[in-house]
Amino acid sequence: MDDSLTLLGFGPEGWGHALLNGGLMTLTVSGCAFAFGLGLGTLLAWARIAGAAPVQRLAQGYGVVMRGIPDLLVIYLFYFGGRQVASAVAKQFGHVGPVEISGFAAGCLAIGLLSGATQAEVLRGAFHAIAPGTLEAARVTGMGRWTMFRRIIAPLALRTALPGLGNQWQSVIKESALVSVTGLVETLRAVTVAANSTELPFLFFLAGGAIYLVITTISGFLFRIAEWRSMRGQPATVGRG
Amino acid sequence: MDFAFIAQVFPKLLAGLPLTLLLAVLSLLGGGLIALGLSGLRASSWIGARVADFYVYIFRGTPLLIQIFLIYYGLAQFPAVRHSVFWPLLREPYVCALLSLMLNDAAYTSEILRGGLRAVPAGAIEAARVAGMTRLTLLRRIILPLAFRQALPAYGAEITSMVKATSLASVVTLMEVTGIARAEVSETYRAIEVFLCAAVIYLVLVTVIARAVDLLEDHLTPYRRPTSARSVA
Amino acid sequence: MKPITVELTHIRKSFGGQEVLRGVDLAARDGDVIAIIGASGSGKSTLLRCIPLLEIPDQGEITVGDARIGIKDAGHRFSRIERQIVRRLRGQLGFVFQSFNLWPHMTALQNVMEVPLHVQGRPRAECREEAEAMLAKVGLADKFDAWPAHLSGGQQQRVAIARALAMRPRALLFDEPTSALDPELVGEVLRVIRALAEEGRTMLIVTHEMAFAREVSNHAIYLQDGRIEEQGPPEQVFLDPQSERTRRFVGMQRGS
Repeated sequence: MDDSLTLLGFGPEGWGHALLNGGLMTLTVSGCAFAFGLGLGTLLAWARIAGAAPVQRLAQGYGVVMRGIPDLLVIYLFYFGGRQVASAVAKQFGHVGPVEISGFAAGCLAIGLLSGATQAEVLRGAFHAIAPGTLEAARVTGMGRWTMFRRIIAPLALRTALPGLGNQWQSVIKESALVSVTGLVETLRAVTVAANSTELPFLFFLAGGAIYLVITTISGFLFRIAEWRSMRGQPATVGRG
Repeated sequence: MDFAFIAQVFPKLLAGLPLTLLLAVLSLLGGGLIALGLSGLRASSWIGARVADFYVYIFRGTPLLIQIFLIYYGLAQFPAVRHSVFWPLLREPYVCALLSLMLNDAAYTSEILRGGLRAVPAGAIEAARVAGMTRLTLLRRIILPLAFRQALPAYGAEITSMVKATSLASVVTLMEVTGIARAEVSETYRAIEVFLCAAVIYLVLVTVIARAVDLLEDHLTPYRRPTSARSVA
Repeated sequence: MKPITVELTHIRKSFGGQEVLRGVDLAARDGDVIAIIGASGSGKSTLLRCIPLLEIPDQGEITVGDARIGIKDAGHRFSRIERQIVRRLRGQLGFVFQSFNLWPHMTALQNVMEVPLHVQGRPRAECREEAEAMLAKVGLADKFDAWPAHLSGGQQQRVAIARALAMRPRALLFDEPTSALDPELVGEVLRVIRALAEEGRTMLIVTHEMAFAREVSNHAIYLQDGRIEEQGPPEQVFLDPQSERTRRFVGMQRGS
């Protein structure tokens, strides 16, 4: 038990710093992927709500495809596929041999693209949950489209979307563990390295699980506070209490 | 596009489909059974409910991949495990992957089950009790059919999600569709073609399953259709 | 004197320290139609729900046909044998809820057949025939295969009545059967209940429909603050109440 504490600690023998950095990297990758997904999701939701018929069809098709492919495969596709493309391009310029690409970038891109599909659904649902009268009341004042989006639609939709977006954030954190296959040293990669060199896999994978649990628990808590704050002034039936 | 290459890769990947399907089916069956157990535990007592909550919290709060690693690599840390009668099983990546998929699926399924049970209208239960139904008949004839119908859309999503999750078994050397794709790429270095082929296989599989669940739901809940649609049907 | 079908003896019930029933006695003989009236909060629905033990009284005795359950104190836990008795007791009653409570995943016919087939274990052909007859009787011969969600409130309530009848109950209990209905649908349900009364069925009806209650019942009970304030022939209770409080309630209802 003492040995375990030393190994997990921040002393010279300990892996504490490595694990902490892994955890921070998990947060960074997840944050980037989620933000990218939110931007993409907003665009997709907009395309499905207000786009011309073919655009709507396209956005819908994107969602179907992304929800039908395993996350791991998408990461492989971007990481190894990206390498393949980069190598081919480099070859044109006379470079020989494989070219490394960033696992971070490939991971963010892949998870962001996946998450964007789901976030679009969440945002679209939230938009449709806005009472039509509210929008009419804004339109009747002569409010411009951009102002209406910024002042009325976005705040109302975001409020309804918050629980769904919270779930998506949790998913993104868990999906980020898959980026370890690219060699990016996030939590899972960090504990794998530690597990291999100490030959204590159970201890370190357990510690890794605990890191994820801490991250998901705290962010779940923060999202609940945000939900609670955003529900102020709402009729009780709208709240989830 | 190199169609000759694709035509050559596709059958190789399809050879992994039976294992993918087997992993999905077994983990859904095992996970479903554990989930039923968790529901029973939750109903049994306050402590039972807390234990079930904790189980769900742990397995939903951590990535599946770390659960697989913990079972496949982690358990071997203990000499007691290595010397136990279960070692020949726990040494097998197939068993470990399946076990983690089951345990993981159980956590999600038990939440879906809980949602379904909560959505059973109280009046329907009261009407059944007042008619003198035994608990078993009540469960069999009223509660479970209604809960199942209520939970079906969410469970359909869980089925497709498990099909996709089986791809993680490739990380512990299993040669299902993703595993074969990965091996093929390290031989041919043609990642885009190979992984896209694999993606198409999953996409078709998931789409077929989603459609089947939709049809089943439609079949089981004719009362949700508007009346006019029913007279046409 | 006809035999007693439903008997309640000294029923008491509290919810969170609030006494809702303070020792109510009631007996329905074969063929009786008893109207139970009172303001909301008088305990009339709780009283009715105590009969099939949907609410478990803190104290008292309930007898339905050959099934008798006695309860001595609050928080009573039923033994296995008592649970069997409760089921037998419930099996002899048909209960009609304010909000119909049909089983949404079954058609009208399946709703009506469910208990005879799966609880009473009668032959399927017989159950089906009888269920069809019951639905025809409540005027829904054309709705056998309709789903509850596709029926109007009045139609759902009539299915619920057919469902109660199909159990071949000794007595029918109605818990404000028309309160959840749109005004224009009340008539069709009252007509069905009136026809049942004319058949000589034993019924206990909790209702706000005063004119209907007076016309259909042969005995009326006015409940106030968890006690029977007055009871007797409907002409007396509705037209010439002896108690001041009953007079005030009945007068108010007429005024409205």
